[in-house]
Amino acid sequence: MAHAAEHEYTTTGLNHRKLLMWVFLGSDCLFFGSLIATYMVYRGQSLVGPYPVDIINVPVTTISTFVLLMSSFAMVQALAATNADNKKAIVYWLLATAALGSVFIGFQVVEFNTFKNEGLTLGGNLFGASFFTLTGFHGAHVTLGIIWLLAMAILAAKGRVGSKTALDIELLGLYWHFVDIVWIVIFTLLYLIGGFDAGPAAISGG
Amino acid sequence: MAHETEHTTHHPSFNQYVLIAIILFAITIVEFLLIWDKAVIVDYLGPSKIPLLVFLSAIKFAIVIMFYMHLKFDNRLLGSIFIAGLVLAFIVGIAVISTFVGFEGEQRSFAAQNAVPYVEHEEAEETTAPGEKETTETTETKAPPAATGPVAIAVSAKGDELAFDTDSITVDSGANITITFTNSSTFNQHNLVIVQAGTKDAVATDGITQADNDFVPPGDPRVIANTNLLAAGASGEVTFTAPAAGAYQFVCTFPGHNFTMFGDFTIN
Repeated sequence: MAHAAEHEYTTTGLNHRKLLMWVFLGSDCLFFGSLIATYMVYRGQSLVGPYPVDIINVPVTTISTFVLLMSSFAMVQALAATNADNKKAIVYWLLATAALGSVFIGFQVVEFNTFKNEGLTLGGNLFGASFFTLTGFHGAHVTLGIIWLLAMAILAAKGRVGSKTALDIELLGLYWHFVDIVWIVIFTLLYLIGGFDAGPAAISGG
Repeated sequence: MAHETEHTTHHPSFNQYVLIAIILFAITIVEFLLIWDKAVIVDYLGPSKIPLLVFLSAIKFAIVIMFYMHLKFDNRLLGSIFIAGLVLAFIVGIAVISTFVGFEGEQRSFAAQNAVPYVEHEEAEETTAPGEKETTETTETKAPPAATGPVAIAVSAKGDELAFDTDSITVDSGANITITFTNSSTFNQHNLVIVQAGTKDAVATDGITQADNDFVPPGDPRVIANTNLLAAGASGEVTFTAPAAGAYQFVCTFPGHNFTMFGDFTIN
């Protein structure tokens, strides 16, 4: 990108920070891939309840999925505003992204609390262990992203973010969208497909 | 928004971003309709909805990385790095799943058959009844070690049914009771809990959230005594002094079992 006027030495022709971010995201695929595989291995293997069908609320989680998708849209607008040097819009879209991410986390906090009250705990059964580990680490990623967004929003409010430093926002965007696509996979596997798993007798071939 | 020619060539325009967002939303709505029982579609689809859902989420995934993360417009090397991570993640997933699932095929029955019940007072019991293993059909020969007139009672689950093999147990007040409960089921977990008459369902309901405590509400005054939660095929015992004469019940408090798996426990 021409606006990244850094003339650093590179053998790939690529900005090192951007390359590093993509390497990180590629390796984070392995992290979530392992947790998802663990969930699939233990799917339907819980000896005691509560089972997914007892507690998973697909309509509510569909709403929080919408919220996270919406935040990704706000994120691309933040980058577009950065490239266009629209200082006010940068702050506005970064805060909007952080707010939507916070709403998603709010949904998750309420969900975890509800599940806990229904008897699902990290140590209660295999479903609880694999569910909380996977969605909890995703929630941690979102939380980290919110902190990053707020930090950049503060810098932007001070006028220190613009087209010359657009890479800062672009890297943040890559991270944020990655967290979004991980949720696309989790939502499909744990909620849409796995959310109706019942107790031992009812599952076949799990 | 995107007036600079520099960026219009590299990034989608505002309108295109809106369109992408709408497409992502639309796919999510379709996914939800596919599994929402009130939308009826799920009844027609059956198990074929699973590949459909995987396909739809793969499209969403691809749209986000291509447009929002601009892999479509960016250097191919960046995409290759990410795809390499993704492919490796898939291979790890397949490896993990085949390691576990290919190993026994039926993990749950394997676990249930090989589960070793945790017996809290095992050592103490071994001193009172030496040489006796806690397996089936041994309670009749259990030697009375003390002089308090102990009473040994054997109860078993009725095979794989959600029932005990007896409807009623009668003992004398003040007697030292040892109940040996054998879970003869091939796959269910059971326990045996003695409760005040008429409280079996209430105790079982309160016990649902107490999976860590064998589905027995801790410190509950309605509970007289209970065995541990026993894996299929295991047996365990509980020793207690029979309380005041009156009507009591015995019940399995594993969630859902209490409706059929209970009996009268009478103390004279």
